[in-house]
Amino acid sequence: MRSFGLISIRSMVAAVGMATAMTLSVSASATPGVSDREILVGTIQDLSGPIAMLGTPVRDAMLMRFEEANQAGGVHGRMLRLAVEDAAYDPKRAVLAARKLVQRDQVFAFLANMGTPVVMATMQMIVDSGRPHLFPFSPHELTYTPLHPLKFQMFAPYQDYMDAAVRHMVGANGYRQTCLLYQDDDYGLEVMKGVEAGLAKIDMALVERTSYKRGATDFSSQVARLRAAGCDFVVLATVVRETVAVMAEARKIGWEVDMLVTASGYSAQTHELGGDAVEGLYGVTVLPHPYAEGADPALADWIDRYRARFGVAPNVWSAMGYTIADLFIQAADAAGPELTIEGFVSAMASLHTEGDIFGGPAYRFSPDDHLGNRYGRIAQIRDGRWEVLTDYVD
Amino acid sequence: MTGQAPTLRGGFARRVGLSVIVLCALSLLAVRHLGLDYALGQLVFIFTYAIAGLGVVLIVGQSGQISLGQGALIALGAYVQTLLVLRGVPVPVALVLAIAVGCAGGWIASLPARRLGGLYFAMSTLAFALIVEEVLVRWESMTRGAAGLLVPDASIGPWLLNATLSQALVSGLVFLIALGCCRRWVASRHGRAWRAVRDDEVAAAACGVDVARCKAQAFVIGGGLSGLAGGLYAHWIGFISPEQFGLFLSFELLMLAFIGGARHLAGAFWGALVIVAIPQANALLRDLLPAELARAAGVEAIMFGAVIVAVILFRPQGIAGGKA
Amino acid sequence: MLRRMITFMQVLVSGFATGCIYGLVALSFVLIYKATETVSFMQGELLMVGAFAVLALNVGAGWPLWLAALCGVAGMVVLGAVLERSVLRRAIGQPHLTAVLLTFGLGMMMRGSVTTVPAASHSMHRLPFPFAGETLTVGPVPVAAEHVAVIVATVLLAAALTLFFRHTRAGLALRACSENPRIASLMGVSVSRMHTLAWALGAGLAACAGLMLAPVTFVHLNMGLIALKAFPAAVLGGMTSLPGALIAGIFLGIAEAIAGLMLPEGVKDIVPYALLMIALLLFPSGIGAAFARGGARLAR
Repeated sequence: MRSFGLISIRSMVAAVGMATAMTLSVSASATPGVSDREILVGTIQDLSGPIAMLGTPVRDAMLMRFEEANQAGGVHGRMLRLAVEDAAYDPKRAVLAARKLVQRDQVFAFLANMGTPVVMATMQMIVDSGRPHLFPFSPHELTYTPLHPLKFQMFAPYQDYMDAAVRHMVGANGYRQTCLLYQDDDYGLEVMKGVEAGLAKIDMALVERTSYKRGATDFSSQVARLRAAGCDFVVLATVVRETVAVMAEARKIGWEVDMLVTASGYSAQTHELGGDAVEGLYGVTVLPHPYAEGADPALADWIDRYRARFGVAPNVWSAMGYTIADLFIQAADAAGPELTIEGFVSAMASLHTEGDIFGGPAYRFSPDDHLGNRYGRIAQIRDGRWEVLTDYVD
Repeated sequence: MTGQAPTLRGGFARRVGLSVIVLCALSLLAVRHLGLDYALGQLVFIFTYAIAGLGVVLIVGQSGQISLGQGALIALGAYVQTLLVLRGVPVPVALVLAIAVGCAGGWIASLPARRLGGLYFAMSTLAFALIVEEVLVRWESMTRGAAGLLVPDASIGPWLLNATLSQALVSGLVFLIALGCCRRWVASRHGRAWRAVRDDEVAAAACGVDVARCKAQAFVIGGGLSGLAGGLYAHWIGFISPEQFGLFLSFELLMLAFIGGARHLAGAFWGALVIVAIPQANALLRDLLPAELARAAGVEAIMFGAVIVAVILFRPQGIAGGKA
Repeated sequence: MLRRMITFMQVLVSGFATGCIYGLVALSFVLIYKATETVSFMQGELLMVGAFAVLALNVGAGWPLWLAALCGVAGMVVLGAVLERSVLRRAIGQPHLTAVLLTFGLGMMMRGSVTTVPAASHSMHRLPFPFAGETLTVGPVPVAAEHVAVIVATVLLAAALTLFFRHTRAGLALRACSENPRIASLMGVSVSRMHTLAWALGAGLAACAGLMLAPVTFVHLNMGLIALKAFPAAVLGGMTSLPGALIAGIFLGIAEAIAGLMLPEGVKDIVPYALLMIALLLFPSGIGAAFARGGARLAR
């Protein structure tokens, strides 16, 4: 029953994709959002909803990268402008925002739309209108598969990262009883799928799993449950606050178990708020956190400029937003002075980057793979800061 | 306000005239400022919200009950519609079933009213909504849980409703039909019984009105309208997940009814207009404000809050106003 | 066996502490409802604003924590009074729904205002309580210091409120006014001043709950969500009983924690609402009233 629904949607998506590609090649005369002086790019962010803590730094860092590019003369003489809409994680507002950006503002492309409900509600409409849908913050496969000429992604689903990370951790540390504590929403489910898939590949299974609702206060019962099941390795599909609470609870009852948190818990806030309680926590990340202390000159300079511009220290989300805007600029630059959607998309589909000031991965896109990177690294909190332990694991 | 008939009639004509003028001005402004297609997209949501709003107006304004769980009834409609259409049921048939399930949900939500009154009953509707949301999250084999469901475009026979114009026409038409039905109901004997319950439960019961039955009726019909709105909403949004139908949606609908005027059926439309327009007003305002202030999030929440507070303080009967 | 007993005790204490916070928010809700017949849907926001106010004074202005806490709570008391005088007064005598929406709207405005401050919406914050993160051991049971602090503070607040309602003029007047405003006004109590007092106290209590929640969940925009658990507590307690609200809150906190430990995965989250439904259907006028009736019967 389930697969029936999915298959029909997939085939629909593919059919629409092909139709779009065909109409594109016909009507490429006047490119929306592009004038002689300007390129207008849209983004649907969460600036006031449940994940505003992610949306705001992403938006700020994209603005910063665009401003820098403009000061350097723009892309082939065109200034970059970012049209931001706040959908607050609400799909209804997202649909209206997407229509506004497509129809009224006439944006050239969508960059870094924030949140799975937002992306799922708007992606179809955006690619139907012929606009590139680039690097959304949604760990959903549909953002890059099946291959669609206008869809690009640089974050793999949590599933992929966690699959590899769990296998690596179990292989390296010889855990026997892996358990999961997850938030009961799309994020948590995605992580669960990845952990299960990773364990299945090494002939293991989850020993115990337990969940919590967003906004939960008390984690004592969940931690007690996991401990009673004899777990020696706990994967956390939590965000910052819950990560700290779970670690603190475990340490309180004297349970020295290894825990691994997803990229959502990989934040400087985790150790700033958690202090001693989160020492030793493992985490998965794609980009390292931009710490000012010990930064190389290029990164230190970037951190100073970010601070000066927005009055707060940048975090890992800022680094992601900056990277996203940078990838856009690289592709737009490679597309040449005659900027069309077709030209941009084909430039994007052959873009290879060589790492960046943050120590991020090299992103490689190809005409038949629109996911730029699918590997994460393992890090650990040591002496109150995240230390990256491994290279990209697969 | 004198109570004489000619004045009333004159007031009615004036009100209709005023409404037409306001609507024309607004649509002109919207089309000019937003573009025709975008304005039509807004209209789709106005009508869809207005349908759900009619349900709230019936429950709150006509029968005098508080429902804090209307979002859950919309969720029922949206999920039934989506699951049926994904299994190949034609859209109109699915819509009828979505209405039926909405009615059934409303009936279940009204059951505690047999034992509980006033605020306690309101709290039980809240509990009902939270339990429905939890079931939608947990029943993964059916609803895909929190991961949500993609909803295919609606089609009626060979006619695919994927353009904003056709969507606006369909939701407008459905709204008008719903409004017509509600009008007849409200003017009927049943409607009078509801208002008697609203104004004084004890007196109504003394006059032989079956109070429990009236409350159940209000929730069944209100639930059906919610189911209908949910079914349409699912298609227009294209993706449904349990958290979309949470407490905030229920409150949004209550605010809608209050801003529009819960005592008038037309209040549902006016309320929906305001609720959908506030984000637009916010976008306009943002262009006028200094950049640093405009960048700040939260302005929209302040505006929403301010509108509802202002309406309650200065126009407690809502936009549609007056007594009915 | 001992291991399981200890685990059970740990979970019980955590649930008790969480329940204390539910109970305090429920208490603030009932206090307002009893005195003014107004259903406040902004207790969660008041809690959040209170915590942020203390944070701003402590971290932003650099005041010592005790002073910041004192002034923050006092500020919220004033805010409650001002809101009552200016806006909430209009909801008196209106249907319940008017008050529900009015407070909801005010709550949205408060939340929106805090959201506009970038530092508040960008990250979570910690109030530097000296005991945060410490662990005590009571017999064989390890207990988080912040949980002990929450329980102690709740007991102190409950005691202070009891003294206030039993032994001060204002407290007695507020009680009289809650029982029967007409008779109270005949006795020379200014009912409108009592309404202001009730809102001021309600806002102050919510701010105290926010302070207690801060070491447990940190200070952030969505910390007010906890009020969603406090409503069932208030209703379970019978809506008009202050001790009932507190006890029902603690009961819910414990029930939730134990359900999370013992019952199948996923049941935990609907326990408060399922309990609420059952209790409502069994005792239509609230458990508090049922207790009171039972008590009266026993006394007879």
